[in-house]
Amino acid sequence: MLSENLKWYFPSSLPQAVKLIQKPGIILHAGGTRILKTQSKNIIGLVDISNLKLNYIKSKTNSFHIGAAITFNELIKYSKENNCLKMLAAALSQAASTPLRNRITIGGSLKDFPLWSNLYAPLIALNAMMEIKGNKSGIYSVEEYVSEGMIKSKHIIKEIILPRKEEFAWKVMRFALLKFEYPLFNIAISLKLNGKMIDDSRLVITGVRNRFKRFKKAEKFLIGKNLSLNLLNEIEKFVEPKFVSDYKYSSSYKETIAKVYFKDLLSEIIKENL
Amino acid sequence: MFKYIKKPIEKIDGLALVTGNEKYTDDFYFENMLHISILHSGYAHAKIEDIDDSTALRMPGVVDVLSYKNVKQILYTTAGQGYPEPSPYDTVLFGNVMRFVGDNVCAVAAETKEIADSALKKIKVKYKRLKPILHFEESENSKIIIHKDDGAFPKIPVYYDASKNLAAKVEAEVGNFEEAFQNSENKIEQTFFTQYASHCALEPHAAVSYIDTRGRLVIISTTQVPFHVRRIVSHIAEIPISKIRVIKPRIGGGFGGKQEVLLEPIVALVTWKTKRPAKLVYSRKEVFKSSRTRHEYRTIFKVGFQKDGKINAMHLDALENSGAYGSHALTVLSNAGSKTLPLLNKIENLKFTGKGVYTNLPCGGAYRGYGATEAYFGFGQVVDMVCEASGNDIIEYYKKWAIKSGETSPIFKALGEGKEGVAMTVTSTSLNECLEVGARESGWYEKKKLYGVNSTLNKNNRYKRGIGMADLMQGSAIPEIDMASAYIKMNDDGSFNLNVGATDLGTGSDTILAQIASEVLDTPVDKFIVTSSDTDFTPFDTGAYASSTTYLSGQAVLKCAKQIKEQILKVGAEMLGVSLDEVDILDSNVVVKPSSNNENKGEVSYQDICSYSFYQNNQFQIQAAVSHVSPKSPPPFAVHFVEIEVDTFTGIIKVLNYVATVDCGTPINTTLAEGQAEGAIVNGISYALFENYYFSNHGKMLNDTFGKYGMYTAADIPPIKVHLIDSYEETGPFGAKSISEININGALPAIANAFYNATGKRLYKAPFSPEYVLKILKSNP
Amino acid sequence: MKISFNINNQNRELELNPNQTLLTVLRNNGFTEVKCGCNEGECGACLVLLDDKAVNSCQVLAMSVQNKKIKTVKGIGTLHNPNLIQKIFAGTGADQCGFCSPGMIVASYSLLKENSSPSDSEILEGLDGNLCRCTGYIKIIEAVRRSSSVLLKNNVEAE
Ligand SMILES: Cc1cc2nc3c(=O)[nH]c(=O)nc-3n(C[C@H](O)[C@H](O)[C@H](O)COP(=O)(O)OP(=O)(O)OC[C@H]3O[C@@H](n4cnc5c(N)ncnc54)[C@H](O)[C@@H]3O)c2cc1C
Ligand code: FES
Ligand code: FES
Repeated sequence: MLSENLKWYFPSSLPQAVKLIQKPGIILHAGGTRILKTQSKNIIGLVDISNLKLNYIKSKTNSFHIGAAITFNELIKYSKENNCLKMLAAALSQAASTPLRNRITIGGSLKDFPLWSNLYAPLIALNAMMEIKGNKSGIYSVEEYVSEGMIKSKHIIKEIILPRKEEFAWKVMRFALLKFEYPLFNIAISLKLNGKMIDDSRLVITGVRNRFKRFKKAEKFLIGKNLSLNLLNEIEKFVEPKFVSDYKYSSSYKETIAKVYFKDLLSEIIKENL
Repeated sequence: MFKYIKKPIEKIDGLALVTGNEKYTDDFYFENMLHISILHSGYAHAKIEDIDDSTALRMPGVVDVLSYKNVKQILYTTAGQGYPEPSPYDTVLFGNVMRFVGDNVCAVAAETKEIADSALKKIKVKYKRLKPILHFEESENSKIIIHKDDGAFPKIPVYYDASKNLAAKVEAEVGNFEEAFQNSENKIEQTFFTQYASHCALEPHAAVSYIDTRGRLVIISTTQVPFHVRRIVSHIAEIPISKIRVIKPRIGGGFGGKQEVLLEPIVALVTWKTKRPAKLVYSRKEVFKSSRTRHEYRTIFKVGFQKDGKINAMHLDALENSGAYGSHALTVLSNAGSKTLPLLNKIENLKFTGKGVYTNLPCGGAYRGYGATEAYFGFGQVVDMVCEASGNDIIEYYKKWAIKSGETSPIFKALGEGKEGVAMTVTSTSLNECLEVGARESGWYEKKKLYGVNSTLNKNNRYKRGIGMADLMQGSAIPEIDMASAYIKMNDDGSFNLNVGATDLGTGSDTILAQIASEVLDTPVDKFIVTSSDTDFTPFDTGAYASSTTYLSGQAVLKCAKQIKEQILKVGAEMLGVSLDEVDILDSNVVVKPSSNNENKGEVSYQDICSYSFYQNNQFQIQAAVSHVSPKSPPPFAVHFVEIEVDTFTGIIKVLNYVATVDCGTPINTTLAEGQAEGAIVNGISYALFENYYFSNHGKMLNDTFGKYGMYTAADIPPIKVHLIDSYEETGPFGAKSISEININGALPAIANAFYNATGKRLYKAPFSPEYVLKILKSNP
Repeated sequence: MKISFNINNQNRELELNPNQTLLTVLRNNGFTEVKCGCNEGECGACLVLLDDKAVNSCQVLAMSVQNKKIKTVKGIGTLHNPNLIQKIFAGTGADQCGFCSPGMIVASYSLLKENSSPSDSEILEGLDGNLCRCTGYIKIIEAVRRSSSVLLKNNVEAE
């Protein structure tokens, strides 16, 4: 249960907020959905981000800047209205439920990174960047943010930055049997194509051991190859996700089907672009 | 033909429900009310050596702690059944032996829920851990005895042996199974498993109590069985029945889960002791872990049949995991046999054997389908296997062999509920039509040709399609045991009070009972002010279970309304100055029959009639109270057809289409009848494919939230079409039987049969989780 | 402490603790038309409109939405003045026990207010956070479809 003496702060500037969260037990509050799940008694103060003016999506010449307070549904709506950010929107529209997507924010989801996150796989596949303020202020790639342990430090996520150009072929999927269920894993694939040739590729899965995995060998293998369904058989040996067993599924089952879906998604991309 | 029957009449509480105006148990708040929280056992099996509640009691706002130390150890069963109950008395409210993770350790009553919750953490319990039984197949021969020296006993003279962990045992045989089986040309022996499930009524269990102005105890509760609650609370709390009033407000679904008396005795004890209102509401986790579940089952079918498919012998052996207590253990078990075996009533040698065993896992209880769901999984598949082996079309097979009007089954008499059953003849069935319409609407014959293991469509294809079906029957009420009653009085504007003990748990029974009275009295449904389920103001009814409300309570209302009609006619005739046989009712009036040659051709309205009987001549209150016990339990029938697609790479089964034809006699309210069928079908599909309890090695349920448990949303349902195909049941109100339970039973066998059609393999274990399906697909046939 | 909200178009000061969810605060202050089926964001019985968007009130800390506009099912329509969608729900048999109905109505209303002619898949998506155990959803989906066509026919927005 959260403490009855919980203190609330509503700062209106980032520096104020950064200062507040330096104290032990004081953390940021965005959508609050994670905070309510953990119900940690150790939280003594919540710093609400709603006055920090982080609820924006700015479109610049080469990039989109998405404020951390943007909710999943706000992003999806923006994507529909402006015909952009489609891969991210496609992934996020599979998350949780309509009313929850009205609450869950980009920032809270980045900091939280649950196993069932629908956000991380597409961001890593898109090579997204993010800006943080606080202990390690700066701009980092989302991938290094999670891998370098930075995620644990005290900071405020200001925004994520995505390349404007969307000249790549992509697929995202979540594995769950039901529409409103915590997905077992999420896959995102993006291929930069030059005619029939693969110029660059990113193959990402989340929900695995160590949270996420990029199949770099597979990515390397694909680069320079021409699109062809034969690639599917060869790529198999490079895609070896490692899972932990849970009460419902064994790790080996998850590994089997994750492979199946990787191949499915790749083959869809290949067929669509052949 | 009918005016108010077989119509899609809007629920009388409909608008109040959808505007949030109706009140459910947790919506009642009282001044000075105490809030209760329960400490549940974290161990599957343990003896409590001591409870130290001193720190908790010193906390500001904590008022009382109830535990074995201060609560009298009175044995009872939580099963809300007729008295004496067929379930063993093996439970105490707060005992000192914990028998499953979720068992009651103690309760804290405090000024706020938050204080009560924090106080739970301050209670120190000293446990002596005992070895648990976590697998029900090991229970009977285990050295661990779950109900040891606790005095547990059967309330009625039935087999019960706690020393063998046997909560129930049922045996019945007609003919000579063994001999006929041995002499059969072909034999099938197959074992099936069905799993735990939660009812998932959207409203969690809750109870509130207070003392009224005259010192009586009032309990508002989410119950399907208010009268059983009153009796059981009286027994445990030692408060006379005359001092207890139980009210069921609106309740948010039951499905059998609220046929258990779990929370009411606790709030009763707190209120009775402190004289303050008290409220207890389960969290969703508590509902999953501590309330009741669908029993886990193993069924073994042995079938001996001829080359042409005629079954000579069938044996169903059922093993039921009762969990820690034996609530409904015996009756669910009996129903596993009595709701399946009579369907193929021409089998001459039938045997049913069943045992319900204790384990240190959550308790089973009543759950929509009640044994039939568990047994039809295997039954529906073995019939399919027989048809496959003998080259019979299963539709024609059921047409030939299933029970028909004018026929009986010896099982009706041989298998009762804790005693001998009641012999009966089936007099209403549209089963043949159900089979035909279902086959047509589902495209059965075309799809059978198209699909199949070796079809061009399926062969060498990753995605394989199949179609399967299942034929079902259930019952309507427990014959010669269940009783319902109704009371009607007339008001001076021509309206009526209809008071019934029957319990509307969302099913719409308040509405259909009003429709029945409307039809008899030829006056609109909105002329009835329905009051139900208040032990002070409504007459007795056993409650909402055993598919009894429409058939049984409906008949009580019908009989009662007929008596009112006679009284109205009498007053009308007197007012019109004609003889009784010259009048009839028409549109809320008493009229002189057109056929009569009396010159007085007038009419009097219901309003005038009541006014007359109140104020003018021969004054009396037009009123009647009637009870009804059914002599039989006429089975409703249903046939379910399902089409699926199997992804053979992942093991995922996708339901493509579902068609159900249902014979519930006359559907009193077509919308509500369809709704009952649709809700049950969706529950049945999600049970077949997803729902389950996953336990840790220590018997703790791991998936105790909706999200982890997995439930269909609107976004997941396949196309489902229900066709109601009437028959007319003479003993039911306007020909009605029941519909609430039967349709949960079809998905398991129908999907499994469709899987066989698609892949040539069979599923023996539910749920059909993709990992299990993939294992089956990779196995050798 | 007392915090103000605008609930069903009225400014109200509600008593609350800083650790309480909007659901708890609403129910403790008499708005019992908002139901609690799970308290975990997984059933949708507690849906309310927060600044015109449907949210699970059990997943919102009340302090974070002070002064905001909140609408419960009764703010959409009442027994004596029901909203069209509510009338159609009752008339279609989309309510059995009715425990999911307040949340279903909020979800349907917010869907139809944004989009008065949703496709079937948009309807399903709009209801994807609401569990119902009684109806099997068929009549609920039907009620939303019917509401949409009545709105279209009368050329009005969900009000
Ligand atoms: C029932 C349910 C189902 C869900 N299903 C899914 C799903 O399928 N897919 C999915 O992707 N997600 C899902 N989620 C959401 C996910 O689990 C987290 O709850 C969510 O991502 C947290 O976001 P929030 O905005 O609510 O964060 P909050 O709860 O407000 O915060 C989460 C953490 O992030 C910190 N934080 C917040 N904002 C910032 C910021 N700007 N900078 C730095 N730190 C910050 C907080 O201090 C806190 O530690 C689900 C949630 C629920 C309740
Ligand atoms: S109570 Fe909020 S989603 Fe269930
Ligand atoms: S009507 Fe009962 S949960 Fe929906």
